[in-house]
Amino acid sequence: MEKKEMFTSRWGFIFAGLGMAVGTGNIWRFPRIVSQNGGGAFIIAWLLFLFLWSIPLLIVEISIGKKTRLGVIGSFGKIMGRKFAWMGTFVAFVTTAIMFYYSVVTGWCLKYFIATTFQGLIKRESLQFWHGFTASWEPVLFHFMAISIGALIIYRGVVKGIERANKILIPSLFFILIIACFRAITLPSASQGLNFLFSPNFSKLADYRVWLNALSQSAWSTGAGWGLILTYAVYSHKKENPILTATTLGFGNNLASILAASAVIPTVFSYFATQDFSLEKVLEVMKTDNQGLTFIWIPNLFSKIPGGTFFLALFFLALSFAAFSSLISMLELDTRILMDAGLCRKKSIAVIAICGFLLGLPSALSMGFFSNQDWVWSLGLLVSGFFLTVSVIKFGTKKFLREVILPSKNHRLLAKFFNILIMFFIPLQFLAMITWFFWTSYTENPHNWLKIFSSFSVGTVLFQWIIALGVFILLNKTITKKILNRNDH
Amino acid sequence: MTIKAILFMIFLVVFLLGGFIYCLYLSSKRK
Repeated sequence: MEKKEMFTSRWGFIFAGLGMAVGTGNIWRFPRIVSQNGGGAFIIAWLLFLFLWSIPLLIVEISIGKKTRLGVIGSFGKIMGRKFAWMGTFVAFVTTAIMFYYSVVTGWCLKYFIATTFQGLIKRESLQFWHGFTASWEPVLFHFMAISIGALIIYRGVVKGIERANKILIPSLFFILIIACFRAITLPSASQGLNFLFSPNFSKLADYRVWLNALSQSAWSTGAGWGLILTYAVYSHKKENPILTATTLGFGNNLASILAASAVIPTVFSYFATQDFSLEKVLEVMKTDNQGLTFIWIPNLFSKIPGGTFFLALFFLALSFAAFSSLISMLELDTRILMDAGLCRKKSIAVIAICGFLLGLPSALSMGFFSNQDWVWSLGLLVSGFFLTVSVIKFGTKKFLREVILPSKNHRLLAKFFNILIMFFIPLQFLAMITWFFWTSYTENPHNWLKIFSSFSVGTVLFQWIIALGVFILLNKTITKKILNRNDH
Repeated sequence: MTIKAILFMIFLVVFLLGGFIYCLYLSSKRK
């Protein structure tokens, strides 16, 4: 039996966890979503869901990984029984499908950092540059570079690879975010941006869309339900406290989001203060999609501020760090599963890197394919979170708290709260979100909502999910035999 | 900036940064 590696200290695990949680979503998605949903009021709802969705799921994941010492598939097999291991396979696959195109995004960040530093990106027309870049072969090259660097880190193992990389990436990322934040809030008219960001307009809380956007942002940004922290927890110390670690990750992740928003939103307001300023214009910019805001607007905005090149390079460096720290956790998730099945680390990461590169190619070459995959599998994460909850319900929530989360301790009040969260709140939140997304897709596109080959339809989501689930249920016996027979002890 | 926005900003910084540092402090105390 393979002897499992361990993080050298609790700090190693916390840094790795923060690396997993803080990703591009904090820097490019949060400022956009918070602007679209009225600033301060959205933040209140988003903070609430940190405690009602993200932290409970992170606690569940850390506890399962620590208890079973197996990757996602093996963990589901152990917690729920072999018959249900296909749920774990689905969770692992959703994150893997995201990894295929996430590596492409990491490559874009890397390219933009290099372009800012060495190719004078700031002086070029940013829309033209973006279209020229995405239409060329370069995204493939940078996707290859991203997955190769990530694979090299995983190849070096838990301590020399994952722990060491995150101990450099995470403090650097926070440091850069703080510098960017200070630069942004000292810009002329930045106070208008801060005012917009931090003014809690409570009437906005009557809008159900604010709540659903807050829930989806919290669910995606913390990495809860992805199976990533579950994988890292396999290497955690046996005295690790899942509740404390999950809470640390939740606070750290949300802090990074607020720092990013405090850097981006005042910069946007400051830019428009020198142009034809109107709140509508600012919101219109913030409504552009993730890629539009980050790769087209941000270079534009930074070109108008003193020291723009330096700060733009810093912004893309932060984005690259955030992307890499998350990409390596995705690579490790699959590596751990192959290692559970009997492969050594070197062979496992070689297989994952080759598959990751090849299956990421369609997203690197076609923005249409990229957007479709992003739509299908980011919604799949909600199912992943729900499956994790089902695993706890099947195991027994009270038994799970007593035997898996906090063995040898008796917390009656906590047990009651945990029971209500897992049995009612999380399934209810899952149902509300999934219904809302499908309903929005239907109302926005009533004629094509069931079309399988439409990029953003309900049909394409259900089609791809059903194929994946069907295959995993059919292969369940073979997969569990391979993984659990080796690890039954 | 309005007083309301300043107060909310202070609350967020204290809550998130304070919560994060306090959790890190508790982690460092555990053996």
